[in-house]
Amino acid sequence: MDTEYNFNIELRPDYSLLRVKLREGQKIFAEPSAMATMDTCIKLKAGFKGGVMSTLKRGLGGESLIINTFTADQEGEVTFAPGPMGDLNHYAVNGTNLLLQSGAFVAHGEGLEVTGKFDGVKGFFSGQGIFLLQASGTGDIFFNTYGAMIEIDVNDGFIVDTGYVVAFESTLDYQITTVPGLSIGSKVKTFLFGGEGLVCKFNGQGKVWIQTRTINPFLRWVHPYRRVQNSSH
Amino acid sequence: MNVDIRYQPAFATIFASLLPGESIIAEAGAMASMSPQLEMKARFNGGFFTAILRKIFGGETLFVNEFSCPRETNPGELVLTQSSPGDIAEIDLQGNTLLLTSGSFIACTPGVKLGLGFAGFASWLGKEGLFRLSVSGHGKVWIGGYGGVLKQNIQNELVVDTGHLLAYEPTISLSISLSGGIFSSFFSGEGFVSRIRGQGDIYLQSRSLDGLTSWTNKYL
Amino acid sequence: MNIEILCRPAASSALVKLNQGEELTAEVGAMIAMSPNLRVETTSRHRGAKGGIMKGIKRIFSGENFFLNHFTAAADDQELYIGPALMGDICTHNLRSETLIIQGSSWLASGTGIEVDTTFQGFGAALFSGESVFWVKCSGQGVVILNSFGAIYEIDVDGEYIVDTGHIVAFEDTLNFNISKAGSSWVSSFLGGEGLVCRFKGQGKLYCQTHNPPSFGQSLTPKLRPRQA
Repeated sequence: MDTEYNFNIELRPDYSLLRVKLREGQKIFAEPSAMATMDTCIKLKAGFKGGVMSTLKRGLGGESLIINTFTADQEGEVTFAPGPMGDLNHYAVNGTNLLLQSGAFVAHGEGLEVTGKFDGVKGFFSGQGIFLLQASGTGDIFFNTYGAMIEIDVNDGFIVDTGYVVAFESTLDYQITTVPGLSIGSKVKTFLFGGEGLVCKFNGQGKVWIQTRTINPFLRWVHPYRRVQNSSH
Repeated sequence: MNVDIRYQPAFATIFASLLPGESIIAEAGAMASMSPQLEMKARFNGGFFTAILRKIFGGETLFVNEFSCPRETNPGELVLTQSSPGDIAEIDLQGNTLLLTSGSFIACTPGVKLGLGFAGFASWLGKEGLFRLSVSGHGKVWIGGYGGVLKQNIQNELVVDTGHLLAYEPTISLSISLSGGIFSSFFSGEGFVSRIRGQGDIYLQSRSLDGLTSWTNKYL
Repeated sequence: MNIEILCRPAASSALVKLNQGEELTAEVGAMIAMSPNLRVETTSRHRGAKGGIMKGIKRIFSGENFFLNHFTAAADDQELYIGPALMGDICTHNLRSETLIIQGSSWLASGTGIEVDTTFQGFGAALFSGESVFWVKCSGQGVVILNSFGAIYEIDVDGEYIVDTGHIVAFEDTLNFNISKAGSSWVSSFLGGEGLVCRFKGQGKLYCQTHNPPSFGQSLTPKLRPRQA
């Protein structure tokens, strides 16, 4: 099965757009609402990929249960745009699996199996952690960053705040933990950026992709701009 | 007038240098900074009734500002921006008309006429507004949105997710359709999409405020 | 200590390289990633020349106290990536003898030779674009790292210059400033959406940002999920 995709990532690194030219019959699987434009010969179907059971397993990973399948009835083009501004990257899974933060997933091609897992620190921060997806098999996967993307080649050790971890190769050992001194602790209620004081400690050899912005500070900044809902009773 | 668009595409900003006697028209609130000798006057966005209609149905501002450099002074600098981060495209109008989606107008030279075009109910359903700002005449127009700007020439048809359309020529028509079957359209997160038909140029933006807020709302 | 600014201007990050014993103080939460041999301490004291306490200053929008992370390298060649909360740019300013007045949310980090004074009240209780803003005064010798919403552009003021209040990042205190209306009439100013502007007079450096956070936030209001009171 020829699973090679004809794609181009445009408008990097600030508002990256993924453009894919699908051959007749070729499919691509994408995150809900990621589609920006498509030729009229491309058909969209929403579904639970892999069936209901596989979806429930994936559901524990915290990402959306729905996956959109775009099939080309004839050769045609489809473009995908993530929500936040930032970069988009392609990774060819072949031998080494890729782990990515569930929010960073944009699309993947045929030949890949994408499953979810939760990794966190139990007890300390009452179950806080990060939701990871694992892509295995042979195929193409596309992920986006909020902000700029920095690729790090880890050789010795490297520590990344969990909010900024986008993706990493499975050859790396990782541990979700806290760094003493980085946060205030539970005595004083504070707002922190990033992963609220959680970090991901990497060891071994492999690549890590980090982003230079993360969702939590944006949520805090946007909070006062939300309309206040009048309670109804 | 010398116009330099800097920091493209991330935070594209207009740096204009106005010579004595020159002026530029910008949407309300677009001024970031300027030389002290420049004068700023508010005027209705295309005439009183047009302005009201545009505000109510088109989501545009009621007023625009005219910045001018008085004749007896030195040239002045003016920095104009838009409310969202994104790229800015400069369009040269030579008697032709362009239709803009709500919020995409940033500035124009005085020879450009700001008008209102009825965009059709399809556009209104697609959350693109009932009226469309039209720009015509001779001069330059600067438009922008959230995201990078892509100019595409349409020959047949294209499906565009709502919120990604920035501007289009009047030879293009818009209609609304479901993105997939009934189940797929809503579960896919795509909902209604715009079907673009005709021949002409369109301007797209590679992000949408709807896309940003859907991403944000997931966590709220 | 070596500072390199990456990914300008959209989502800039400062890569700070520290050798053994070198230190940097940054806003809590600014850390993106770091080498394993950096010691971190959280404090409300800035270890500047006079060690000013930053308590009592609330972070905008959260009302929380302003805490600091103090990084010290326990080995050579330690790398620290820091970044601010919002999209935008970062720039460094090397202070020698001048004083820089910085918009509170634009201060990201500074070296230990810098004194950070949070009691600056020059603008009074002025609301900028409807938001109350706090200001930080930095003096001493060393580096100050600033961030912005949008790109940062520098103006070397020599005479007079007008800036919309939401676009001010920082300025040298050699400049005189006053808040006034933008247009030739109040009606014009408010209708034109400009409201208040700051007129800077004199000679000095002014850092401005190309975009204005409240303007962007307000454009998102209709589409955001409403909240409980």
